[in-house]
Amino acid sequence: MSLLRNLGSGLRSLFRKEQVNRELDEELGEYLKMSADEKMKQGISRKEALRAVRLERGSLEVSKEIVRSGGWESTVETSWQDLRFAARMLRKSPGFTLVAMLTLALGIGGNTAVFSVMNTVLLRYLPLPNPEQLVFLSLPNGPPDGVSTTGDDDKSFSYPVFEALRKEHAVFSDLMAYMPLAVDKVAVRIGEDPEEAEGDMVSGNFFSGLGVSFTRGRGFALEDETAHASVLVLSYSYWTTRFGRSPSAIGQTINVKRVPFTVIGVTAQGFYRVESASSTDFWIPLQKRSEINAWDEEGPKTLYGAPKWWCIQLIGRLVPGVTESQALAKLDPVFQGAALIGLGTPDPKAKKSTLAFSSTQGIQDMRDDYQKPIQILLAMVGLVLAIACANVSMLLVARNATRAREFSVRIALGAGRGRLLRQTLTESFLLVAGGAAFGWMFAISGSRALAAWSGTEIPFVLDSRVLLFTFAMSISCAIVFGLAPLRTAVSVPVGVTFKTSNATAYRDQRSSWSGKVVVASQMALCLILLVGPGLLVRSLRNYQTLPLGLRVDGLLVFGTDPFSVHSDEEKAHFYQNLLSRLREAPGVESATLVSHRLGSGWGWNSVWAIDGVEPQGSFSEIGMSANHVGPDFCHTLGIPILRGRDVTDADTRSAPKVVLVNETFSKRFFPKGDALGHSVTTISSTSVGKHKLENSFTIVGVIGDSKYKRVDEKSKPTLYFPFAQDTSIPNMQVELRTHGNPEALIPSVHAVLHGLDPNLPIQKPMTQRAQFDESYSQARLFARLSIFFGVIAVLLVATGLYGTLAYRVDRRTSEIGVRMALGAQHGQVLWLILRESLLVSGAAILAGVPVAIAGARLMRSMLFGVQPGDMISFLLALFGVILVALAASIIPARRAMRVDPITALRYE
Amino acid sequence: MPDKSSDVVQGTLDMLVLKTLALEPMHGYGISVRIEQMSKGVFRPNAGSLFLAIQRLQRDGLIAGEWKATENNRRARYYVLTKKGRQRLSSETREWGRQAAAIARILEAS
Repeated sequence: MSLLRNLGSGLRSLFRKEQVNRELDEELGEYLKMSADEKMKQGISRKEALRAVRLERGSLEVSKEIVRSGGWESTVETSWQDLRFAARMLRKSPGFTLVAMLTLALGIGGNTAVFSVMNTVLLRYLPLPNPEQLVFLSLPNGPPDGVSTTGDDDKSFSYPVFEALRKEHAVFSDLMAYMPLAVDKVAVRIGEDPEEAEGDMVSGNFFSGLGVSFTRGRGFALEDETAHASVLVLSYSYWTTRFGRSPSAIGQTINVKRVPFTVIGVTAQGFYRVESASSTDFWIPLQKRSEINAWDEEGPKTLYGAPKWWCIQLIGRLVPGVTESQALAKLDPVFQGAALIGLGTPDPKAKKSTLAFSSTQGIQDMRDDYQKPIQILLAMVGLVLAIACANVSMLLVARNATRAREFSVRIALGAGRGRLLRQTLTESFLLVAGGAAFGWMFAISGSRALAAWSGTEIPFVLDSRVLLFTFAMSISCAIVFGLAPLRTAVSVPVGVTFKTSNATAYRDQRSSWSGKVVVASQMALCLILLVGPGLLVRSLRNYQTLPLGLRVDGLLVFGTDPFSVHSDEEKAHFYQNLLSRLREAPGVESATLVSHRLGSGWGWNSVWAIDGVEPQGSFSEIGMSANHVGPDFCHTLGIPILRGRDVTDADTRSAPKVVLVNETFSKRFFPKGDALGHSVTTISSTSVGKHKLENSFTIVGVIGDSKYKRVDEKSKPTLYFPFAQDTSIPNMQVELRTHGNPEALIPSVHAVLHGLDPNLPIQKPMTQRAQFDESYSQARLFARLSIFFGVIAVLLVATGLYGTLAYRVDRRTSEIGVRMALGAQHGQVLWLILRESLLVSGAAILAGVPVAIAGARLMRSMLFGVQPGDMISFLLALFGVILVALAASIIPARRAMRVDPITALRYE
Repeated sequence: MPDKSSDVVQGTLDMLVLKTLALEPMHGYGISVRIEQMSKGVFRPNAGSLFLAIQRLQRDGLIAGEWKATENNRRARYYVLTKKGRQRLSSETREWGRQAAAIARILEAS
């Protein structure tokens, strides 16, 4: 009540200022008159009495000021005055204002953009109701021995485990299962032509349990799962890109691997998928038919019939109030029981897998890879912001130094130092506000660019957390600048500025010293910001120039999925047929097949027995890689054959089984002799945990080492099996060699595929070089970003140093004039200025190098083939800093050199 | 009148104003004279602090003001204690008594 009254009264004095003033005047006037009347009764004159009253009680004006400043509204009023004054002052020097605001915008915007990425990748919850209840189920030490897994060993479960865990209603209000239909995309047909799309197979409670809302139609129900209904839900982004948001998409038929599904719903905008950065295109309920299987797996492994196949990913919604440790304690016995189903009696020595939860914050697939780079980037933009802040505060200091007279006059006229302080603070707040506004715009486009670069579809959201971050950062900037110019402004003794003229304006030794310190620390930061990109760029060059062991240019790679052929014989025939047609296609020089696309990060790791003997040792010592390859493998890819022969068309299913090995394999297992003629045998584990030797292959060729999964791998013993001789032929990728641009082959490939089967999609066609480049895309992105921030730092430091030097030369004009009048040569004057900037850079280098070395150590895990203490990167950074110093001082130095002694002396 | 007057003890002017108004409604000058009289000239608040206190009390709803004619036919704003003000005065008086006694005890202890 009294708060309201206070507010009302305050507002009244703000908005009905005249009347309130008049009343106060009148009341105080009466008061003084009454006092005077009293005095006059003692017999003194009216004039005397009034004077006595003023002395005793205070004058009318002073009293009025006291009463007025008592209420809160006076603070508002003076702040408003300060704000208008500050805006006026900033408008008076638009150049300064613009430069300061843009500098701040770079700093604040950069930080906001990087923080928003961090927010999306590491911190943000899924855009679903009560996201904090959601947990991923994971297996930190992998699945139990003897099961067959997918690429995602540590987060895949078997169907019996899912069945058992989903019944634990005391722990999970819902447990949702999901799994991709293929590693990448599956063949779909919507109209006439085949296409491919990304799809997930999910449990019936997937949407309801997560709480996904729908733009159109509905999600799945549990009955859809039990009946394995042929219904399909589109993602918002697929509905947008493929269907143009047409409402008629509902009810349409989509053939997934020739099985017709009916579209029943479209998810709401903003829901992508639970675990990764790119949206899936559609979802279908769990299926029991053999054509549609998780991970596009063919053969005996099916979702329902193979308890040893661990292919299901799980996300659960915890019952409110259940903690994660309580939940795990309840689930573990259930899990351990269900995990054994299908495995027989467990080997007591076998490792036990344990159930765990992992957080659903951020993006699961990116969290591990991006955590460190993002933190380093954040540190870098933090440094950029520090440099930007230093620049702006130096600008402010310089500006306020020229305003010293103005301040002195105002102090002399009775302005309180507190009021002056508030005014300079208001100015910096205004600058920061402008900077933050620009910065926010910069951040929006910046985070879009970051999203595009890092290949995520999920837009980096600038949400309230990011806003708060920006706000906090801006406030701290404002306080830093507000305080910086304050000292110069307030510490100026009034007399000094009046006595001195403009040219020799008051300047104390300390402030020139602190200016140098600021510039030196800026340059030290700049050095750090140059070393980082230097190291990263050198890493990137190492990736690019690394010998791959094959002729990578002129190769086109694409996949296809002959889902209509099933038996191995048919499949072998299909691929042979495809190869012979492709070889005749125009522009194709040679063609071959691989089951695991080179450079894609995927591979096949196992151990083979050599001459019937199983190698002993840990997996890291004896582990081997393998790939299925087609005829002309070495010839097409340009891998040298060291001994023996290439795979040929004659290596069919019925021909004697053969294998090629790489040089590392030959050196590791046949250090002295010749690998040719020896045999390699598949080891398969039996249900009792013993190993059994199966198929035997004769080594017929030793070929050069070449990169398999990624560019930065170490060469591993690798085996290349003719694809046709495997017991179950996998889907193959086609590699084509051409003379010209590999991508120009795509139309003729389309034509060949269409001729074979109109339903055949062409999967991810790209040049082999681009595919290898993808294996270090993160390093590239990171290097580019750090170069970007390094360049910003250099620009900021250069302008900062230039500003400071120019200002100081200006200040020393008369001194230089005197020196020249006394006979100083141009060279000496030049040296006078250059020496100063060189000294500053020297100090900066001394201070910056140790910090840069420490910083580079933190980046070790991000470097490839470069040591953190890499000499060249450091020398380049040093060179860069010195170059910046020289470039920034050259204009002021030339100006100093051209000082005309006569003019300079007249200045005084 | 003694030559020496002191500043009112920090924070107590409000209480003194309330006390003077508890006796009868009064204008600003009256309040000041009354405080001076009652304190036998020890406290002589200046105009600025007095009217600041009055503004504060008014905003807190402890006193209410109204323009009226004085006995000398001048116009002045008379202040009157509200119900809330009366309660505040009695609670503050009690509190002050307690504190003053406590301070006195400390000062008298040897």
